[in-house]
Amino acid sequence: MDFATFLEYFRTFIPAAWTTLQITFFGILVGVLLGIIFALMRISKTKFLTLPAKLYISIIRGTPLLLQLLLIYFGLVNIVRLDRIPSAIIALGIHNGAYIAEIFRGAIQSIDRGQKEAGISLGMTGGQVMKRIILPQAFKRAIPPLGNQFIIALKDSSLASAVGVQELLLHSRQLASANYLMMEMLTIAAIFYLIMTSILTFLTNRLERRLKVSDHRV
Amino acid sequence: MDHMIKIKSLSKSYGKLKVLKNIDLDVSPSEVVVIIGASGSGKSTLLRCINFLEKPQKGTITIDGKEVNHKTKNLHLIRREVGMVFQHFNLFPHMTVMNNVIEGLTQVKKVPHAEAIEQGKAMLEKVGMLDKADVYPAMISGGQKQRVAIARALAMNPQIMLFDEPTSALDPELVGEVLQVMKSLAEEGMTMVVVTHEMGFAREVADRVIYMDEGQIVEQGSFEQVFDNPQNDRTKAFLSHII
Repeated sequence: MDFATFLEYFRTFIPAAWTTLQITFFGILVGVLLGIIFALMRISKTKFLTLPAKLYISIIRGTPLLLQLLLIYFGLVNIVRLDRIPSAIIALGIHNGAYIAEIFRGAIQSIDRGQKEAGISLGMTGGQVMKRIILPQAFKRAIPPLGNQFIIALKDSSLASAVGVQELLLHSRQLASANYLMMEMLTIAAIFYLIMTSILTFLTNRLERRLKVSDHRV
Repeated sequence: MDHMIKIKSLSKSYGKLKVLKNIDLDVSPSEVVVIIGASGSGKSTLLRCINFLEKPQKGTITIDGKEVNHKTKNLHLIRREVGMVFQHFNLFPHMTVMNNVIEGLTQVKKVPHAEAIEQGKAMLEKVGMLDKADVYPAMISGGQKQRVAIARALAMNPQIMLFDEPTSALDPELVGEVLQVMKSLAEEGMTMVVVTHEMGFAREVADRVIYMDEGQIVEQGSFEQVFDNPQNDRTKAFLSHII
């Protein structure tokens, strides 16, 4: 294949890449929101909150994302009729929510107990201590594992091809089988994934560095 | 004279382990009480009970006329009256020195930011740390951190200051600057309860020294009474170890 043809094909991937980005972005957004909520539930002192959180986390982590996606798109058909892209976003969000909840829980629990005691002894309430003292430090600690999780989510968005979302992988497979260009089309998809994961890595690293300001020693 | 702190038959246990056994202790306004004792004697737990970081199972604590027990709600309102300084400083690492000091003012007392900064400056000036107001805790020495921690507690204008081994985590050459700040605080008339191994500080500053062992107050009196003429054999044994 000459370079001009390659470029021609390459250009047709851009809308598919945009779809991949959208699914990933909104999936992560849902995942982070669910993650914060379930992490706080998981560490609370009332069983009424911890039990549902534990249940959610173990069910989601114990079943494949592909199955969850199929369940939402095909399985729920008699209850709600969801479109392909919303189904993919919800599946990706719910799935990542469980992992992100555990990331946040670990980060929150890794903050030294003395921090809470210092806040409390200033007269702060439990909620104030969480918001002002614990969470800002926990977020910082959660960034490396979160960045990792975001990259996993980006790659996992390829599973949306199973329900017919026109994202990178489906697009490349369709072009490949229509033109007998398996190697070429899959390689183009791989290049797109690599570019996007590299950008994600760069962004999380930069955020990590920025938030490290307070750690610099003399 | 009314007592600033009045502790009545206070007991605390972790499971079967009794850490405090029926403690009675009164502290007068402006009094400086130094608590000494071996590790595991319950001295830190007693201090933490005064601030309700530990909840006792039995007994009452009266802070400036307000009685508190294990059922009391809104403990955070009472904690404002009691400043606490920890062995490991526990400064907030994600905030500058100044923001550490004004955190309680702006969040708990809802003091407007500009006013809080003014008060924060005064507190940092007092502990000799004003020049480091804009740096993060990771950039200053242990002794400086502890002085900032003292300023942070003082900013709330507490009635009582509690010190839980404030110099135990410091390099020897940094102990003096912290003790100096504590000493000047005592001279200003602050009511203080100090758990420490610094016998020089106890001799110079303490109005009363308490020796604790196995969850009980075994001996108390002036420094001279406790050190030069201990009545209890356990006190004698402890003192022979540390002198």
